[in-house]
Amino acid sequence: MSDELKLIAAAKAGSADAFADLVRAYRVRLLRFLLTRSPSYADAEDVLQDTLVAAFRYLHSYDPRWRFSTWLYRIAIRNAARLRGPELVEIGDLRDEENDPLQQCIADSETDNLWVNARELLNDEVYAAMWLRYAEDMSVNDIAKALDRSASWTKVNLMRGRRVLETQLNNAAQQSEAYG
Amino acid sequence: MPLNKVKPMDKLAKQLHDDAQRIDVSVTDELERRIEASLRAVTPELDERGPAPVSRPPLFWWASTITGVAAAVAVIAIVNWRTPDQPTPPPVNVVAAIPSVDLKAETAMLTGPLQRELDRLQSDLKKAEEQVKQEIGL
Repeated sequence: MSDELKLIAAAKAGSADAFADLVRAYRVRLLRFLLTRSPSYADAEDVLQDTLVAAFRYLHSYDPRWRFSTWLYRIAIRNAARLRGPELVEIGDLRDEENDPLQQCIADSETDNLWVNARELLNDEVYAAMWLRYAEDMSVNDIAKALDRSASWTKVNLMRGRRVLETQLNNAAQQSEAYG
Repeated sequence: MPLNKVKPMDKLAKQLHDDAQRIDVSVTDELERRIEASLRAVTPELDERGPAPVSRPPLFWWASTITGVAAAVAVIAIVNWRTPDQPTPPPVNVVAAIPSVDLKAETAMLTGPLQRELDRLQSDLKKAEEQVKQEIGL
């Protein structure tokens, strides 16, 4: 039995310490993902906390055939979607540009960040699929499970997302060459 | 963002991966305390479906198969080993067991009329012989 499975078994038995150890490696990754989908850093932290609490509470429903990270991301994506409310507006509509947490977290970077473009060009679900694929190296099947979509939908939208970003990058390169 | 023309998808994938890692986040001590406190306040729900079926590794399947076969062989060996001690039943005479049919009676029934006809013919022949002897004066 792997260490992760042992921790899951202990957490299922009610050990909060075991669960804390279990999710320790995922907290930063989840927070990084959530703040790209949240109006503010504080909202991202709140969603992270809610996600971990929900995961602990409903750990009995975790199916070991899934990767634990896939299951965790599925909960996180659902919790993040609640921020949008029943109108299901895009997360960009809620964001305060001056306090954009993603911009704040890449402020020290010397280069532009492609995920800023991705967030503007892709809808929330495709953005999430792209993130899980390229930031988390998830398989198509795991992404489909996390998003509650079919594998076909996931493949098609990953391809579309890549095409959109590639076009954006090529246009930026052409403009740069044109302006010297 | 590199401004060179991007063509290979691998390059795009690598840039997406690297840019994700450049997003500088950290779990603050305060957030960590909040999370741990909220986890301690939670009681995980029990699984009402009962324990999940345990998936056994293939080794278990082989072990159970071999054990089953060995048990079957042992039973067969014990049964065959005890067989000579058992009293063997005497051989059954099949012919004697079958009820005999009275073939003679059946034969008499079949040949009775012929026998009577033969007696009558012999009697007629004897009477005709005596009549001939009287007519010729013997």
